[in-house]
Amino acid sequence: MENIRKALVQSSWGYKLLALFFLSLLLYPFIITNPYWINLMITVLMFVALGQSWNWLGGYAGQISFGQAAFFGLGAYTSTVLLIRFHVNPWIGMGAGAVVAVAVAFVIGYPVFRLKGHYFAIATIALGEIVRIAFDNWKVVGGASGLELPLLRSSLLNFEFVSKVPYYYIALALALVAYGVTFWIEHSRLGYYLRAIKEDADAARSLGINLTRYKFAALMLSAMMAAIMGTFHAQYYLFIDPPSTMGLDLSILISLVAVIGGVGTFWGPLVGAFVLIPISELTRSFLGGSGQAYNLILYGGLIIAVAVLQPGGLWALFQRLGKREVSGPMPPAPKKEESHAAP
Amino acid sequence: MNDIIQVLACGLLMGLVYALIALGLTLIWGVVEIVNFSHGDFMMVAMYLVFTLYSFLHLDPLFSLPLVAVAMALIGIMVHKLLIRPVLKAPMLAQIFVTFGLMIFLRGLAQFIWGPNYKVIPNVLISGSAMIGPIYLGWPQLMAGLGAVLGTIGVIWFVHRTETGRGLRATAEDRETAGLMGIDPERMFAWTWAIGIGSLGIAGALLANFFYIFPEVGGVFGLIAFVTVALGGFGSVGGAFAAGIIIGLVQVLSGFFINPAIKDIPVYSIYLLIVILRPQGLLGKF
Amino acid sequence: MPLLEIKQLVKRFGGLLANDCVDMQVQKGEIVGLIGPNGAGKTTLFSVLTGFYRPEQGIVLFEGHDITGRSPEWLCHRGLARTFQVVKTLKGMTVIENVMIGAFVHTARTREARQRAEELLRFGGLHEKRHMLAGSLTIADKKRLEMLRALATEPKLLLLDEVMAGLTPVEVHEAVALVKRLRDRGISIVLVEHVMEVVMPLSDRVVVMASGRKIAEGKPAEVVRHPAVIEAYLGEKYARRQTT
Repeated sequence: MENIRKALVQSSWGYKLLALFFLSLLLYPFIITNPYWINLMITVLMFVALGQSWNWLGGYAGQISFGQAAFFGLGAYTSTVLLIRFHVNPWIGMGAGAVVAVAVAFVIGYPVFRLKGHYFAIATIALGEIVRIAFDNWKVVGGASGLELPLLRSSLLNFEFVSKVPYYYIALALALVAYGVTFWIEHSRLGYYLRAIKEDADAARSLGINLTRYKFAALMLSAMMAAIMGTFHAQYYLFIDPPSTMGLDLSILISLVAVIGGVGTFWGPLVGAFVLIPISELTRSFLGGSGQAYNLILYGGLIIAVAVLQPGGLWALFQRLGKREVSGPMPPAPKKEESHAAP
Repeated sequence: MNDIIQVLACGLLMGLVYALIALGLTLIWGVVEIVNFSHGDFMMVAMYLVFTLYSFLHLDPLFSLPLVAVAMALIGIMVHKLLIRPVLKAPMLAQIFVTFGLMIFLRGLAQFIWGPNYKVIPNVLISGSAMIGPIYLGWPQLMAGLGAVLGTIGVIWFVHRTETGRGLRATAEDRETAGLMGIDPERMFAWTWAIGIGSLGIAGALLANFFYIFPEVGGVFGLIAFVTVALGGFGSVGGAFAAGIIIGLVQVLSGFFINPAIKDIPVYSIYLLIVILRPQGLLGKF
Repeated sequence: MPLLEIKQLVKRFGGLLANDCVDMQVQKGEIVGLIGPNGAGKTTLFSVLTGFYRPEQGIVLFEGHDITGRSPEWLCHRGLARTFQVVKTLKGMTVIENVMIGAFVHTARTREARQRAEELLRFGGLHEKRHMLAGSLTIADKKRLEMLRALATEPKLLLLDEVMAGLTPVEVHEAVALVKRLRDRGISIVLVEHVMEVVMPLSDRVVVMASGRKIAEGKPAEVVRHPAVIEAYLGEKYARRQTT
């Protein structure tokens, strides 16, 4: 009832705002042509998609992970190694990377998924670090020196461009894909089941829901999306190495985007990415190395604040603020004590 | 042969330090039932405090140890009252992210105050090496091991022989019943955080004798602490001690026989194996 | 062939023998009442039947197949559903979404699940409240919701755990009517109940448990006069009085 009331009341300006927002995203590179700012938006959009991928696992399925970067890195490395060694087209490599990530998720996820809450979170940190250290010392894929992607003729087929603009639109498309998948999840049986599992796992089981199978589905999707973004990263920066693609810092940032934005909410990752990433990039550009300190203090403070005060994240905060600005009469609250009416 | 003994000795000494670090973590885990993701980073703070006392007062780590330990204990109590208490009844997500946020915050704070560069304390009182039988051991490392053992014994004595310690164990076992018997959980939690973070003060002061000090130093120690706690058994003080030594040995042996660069992989793998195959660890609560 | 057959079921919790060599049968189309004083082991029996606990000994046969030790989700797909003594509505979801969860057992399509849920809510009288959050319902409605949700899974056997507890007489009346309509739809029912005025008229047969064991079984009128039953509820004195 709450959701419908909110939607009805906000639909007039809510949807308009959304349309305006989307339109400006679409036209962004033509309005702001400076490559620095385009790069910033590309990074933001990447984290929208990555944050959403974390959200499926952490928000909807309730499994907090700090190892998302491992899938990201696996995607990046798979497509890059295939490109460098076997001249496989990066788009196909992207698919291969997704397959590798899902396979790894399946094999490792199975035993690890039984773990609950904190134990699972720590396990993801351990796994992520194992992957990173392994790749750091694996000469075959470049080890600590990383891999440089070959410079190819600028084309969509080659997934390489001279200008940043095509990259921007691909990133936008991927962010839209991430949102499309989220929309699908929310309205499909998977989404309903994940919500039920979060509400009451025993009740869910008594209603025929196999907990592992559906949480796994969320894990698969999460791994796939992260891996796909990994390939994008490789094709964009034309250089990958373990710290930049598999580091714990990256995993942490991805989780922050989703949680500060609003864990388990539809719009959370979008809000989180649009708030956190510009702050992070801008402080880095203008304050250099010490800028990182400010970032960390801010992120740390924000996440503590979110955890203690408003677990719904910035999105929930916006909603609360938005409600106050709504004008017009509110429909009466639904009556609770109506059970004595004849059925 | 001498090489292996040398390696084992180093691993043992380091393992004793791991044990001390894990002690605080397992105590907090067992009594307060909070997983402190920022545990390693509090040790980092302790190391920086030692460094600062040295820079401004030329106080050797050996002498600043008690000061830092007490300061850290007080910080621990403060953290509990300000940040942990509000989320004790909150969903697990909130609890994870409070200590997680603290971890990030502390690293940022350290970088802000002291900068990102590696620091070291030159001219410590305890320096040089001793020759024990066929092997050389650095005095700082020996003192660290000794200090860690003393610290561990101190904590174990406290937990098992004092009234408060018994209260801690009772609260860890069954908080409600302990409460019904007059043991104030709030007081127990405060004590737990005091001991837990205070012991990091000791560990930090010991390590500051020979280890580099930088904002991220808490990271690896923190993760190793989790592995140690898991292996020893969540909530088990004796288990943390045994596990710490085992982990220290596994780490150096991996480095020696396989490759120093990947010495942490077997350590992290132990965590995975334990929580999947034997969740109660060696001597665990459950 | 009975729909459900329990043979020599034993469930222990450490030193406590919660179910002691329990035998029971449920025929298709029956309503079986399961009664007994508190601590008799009734809810434990339910939890074993629905896969939440593994029995130490004994077998459970459903439609002739051995289902002992199977998981709750597997059993639900085979047609065995339950409600919980302490209501487990999915509080953060709406009434219709709760029922949809049940309906999703037999369809993967959201639209179909919603249609099924709407039908069932109409059948069960909760249709006007379908968009309310389940957590905001009265206890009577929550229990009704749980029944409808279980119904959505299209069970052959429905285990109802104290669905009348905490209800006013009017609400009890409505709940009994609903249970009867469930049986009319061809569902066999076992209900655990303390409210005697409900169990006796509703059940075709009654099974009485005390201290983990089955102490009596039969038609409601017979069971009520059984000395062991009277003793279990009221003590030896009254039992002796009955037989003199």
